[in-house]
Amino acid sequence: MKSIYNNYFRKSDKSDPVLKALESVPIFDNLLDRELSEVARLTHERTYKKDEHVFKQNAPAEGMYVILDGSVEIKDPDSGTIFASLKAGDFFGELALLDEEPRSASAHATQPARLIGFFRTDLLTLIQRSPELGNKILLNLSRVLGERLRKTNEELAKTS
Amino acid sequence: MTVDPVQKVYRLLLFIIVGLLTWGIFPFLAPIIGMLLFSFLFTTIFLQAADSLERYTKSRSLGVFIILASVLTLGVAFIGSFISNMGSQIKSFTLKLQRDDFATSIENLSNGIKDSLPETISNMIPESEKIIIIAKNSMLGVFQSVLSLLGSAGSFFFISFMVLIFTIILLIEYHDFKRSLVRFIPNKYLEVGLRMIYNIEQQISKYLRGQILAAGSVAILSIIGLFILNQLGANITLIVFIGIIAGLANLIPMVGPFIGMIPAILIALMNNVGSDAALTHQLFGTVPSPFYVLDIVLMFIIVQQIDNNFITPLVVGESVGLHPMAVMLVLLIGGTLIGPLGMLFAIPAAGVLKVVIGEIVFVTKNSHLL
Repeated sequence: MKSIYNNYFRKSDKSDPVLKALESVPIFDNLLDRELSEVARLTHERTYKKDEHVFKQNAPAEGMYVILDGSVEIKDPDSGTIFASLKAGDFFGELALLDEEPRSASAHATQPARLIGFFRTDLLTLIQRSPELGNKILLNLSRVLGERLRKTNEELAKTS
Repeated sequence: MTVDPVQKVYRLLLFIIVGLLTWGIFPFLAPIIGMLLFSFLFTTIFLQAADSLERYTKSRSLGVFIILASVLTLGVAFIGSFISNMGSQIKSFTLKLQRDDFATSIENLSNGIKDSLPETISNMIPESEKIIIIAKNSMLGVFQSVLSLLGSAGSFFFISFMVLIFTIILLIEYHDFKRSLVRFIPNKYLEVGLRMIYNIEQQISKYLRGQILAAGSVAILSIIGLFILNQLGANITLIVFIGIIAGLANLIPMVGPFIGMIPAILIALMNNVGSDAALTHQLFGTVPSPFYVLDIVLMFIIVQQIDNNFITPLVVGESVGLHPMAVMLVLLIGGTLIGPLGMLFAIPAAGVLKVVIGEIVFVTKNSHLL
């Protein structure tokens, strides 16, 4: 019943940590308060113990995570190479929103962590429910991936 | 991992106790489960419309209200006018039964059949008086049960009301319910679980949308077919209602089409009793088809063939992806377990089961990845 009430008198709550975290992610740039709340309604908040895997290498990939609290490490389990150490406000796994390839690396919590999951199925639902908002997110996602590709090219050019 | 034998016995006992409890409680819970199933079915049908309307109205509740108000208005108008039309049809037919028209018609029909058959077979047909009594009694029995069915409308309204309430809540809260459900999935299986829920949703909504489109096409084709039969003198009234019933009955695969024929044949019988032209009518001028019964059956077979070969493959396609043999088997199982309702839910349930089994197989094969 509470959510029926909220449905009538819903306001975007700026103090909501989920909304705050989503706002800082470039994939959700330029979204109106109402649109950000709509995205927040589709996300899933999860807690992970220290050393618990968020996902393993080669596991089926379904979506991205934003770190609310704690820290997460992305690494190659075979070579032990650490690709990134991420903290609150950072995000990872966004490529899985677009393709259905398995995870290229493993992610595990190095401290107890609270993550927000935003998955491909949520994005598809959003595109169906609100195409305008879905397009905004897809455009932002392309921008993030384009930027990353440019950086990789630059680094490749430096090494060659 | 080895399991302690005592623990194994405890598990077995727990399983038996839970099984017995479920068996004992199920009859009491069955109506509620049925209502929830129907609510879920309606929710799946209207979910996309509710999502789209939410975009325009900026309020999900208002969107849900608009959808359900329109559907209810249409539904009440349809059922109301069908009941009143059917009621007057049955009343006038009951009056006809009291008169001699019916007796004469049956006698003529029985004599006609006897004349057209070889003597050895015709001797096996009982005397016309006996047939008249049997026919009168069975006809009255059919209509009395129809009337008593209308009389049990009270409980039907209660169930409909509860289904409506459940549907409203489910439609408004669907996405929140889904999120609450996802909370129960362990982290390890989160992504696989989400994929499974999404695939199940897609499976059901694709199947339902296809079925509704196919049912609509069958309804329209049946109305056109009955209209053509009327032009040939079949004198069938309430063709729009019959068409809609045929369309709805079509939702039950394989058996539905035959259910769809029944109201058309009954109304043709009611309207044509006492008419010599209808009694001696011949299909294509050669095959005897008293009261246009064979014409109606042929028309519905043609509609079914068009539906099965052109419409269903186009709109339903490989939505469930079950082998025809598997379809027949699940229909039989559904029908045996719960009757016509079981047949209605058998195919989508089998589709859901297929998705679940697929995901379980995937998880078992790739457990080292999770």
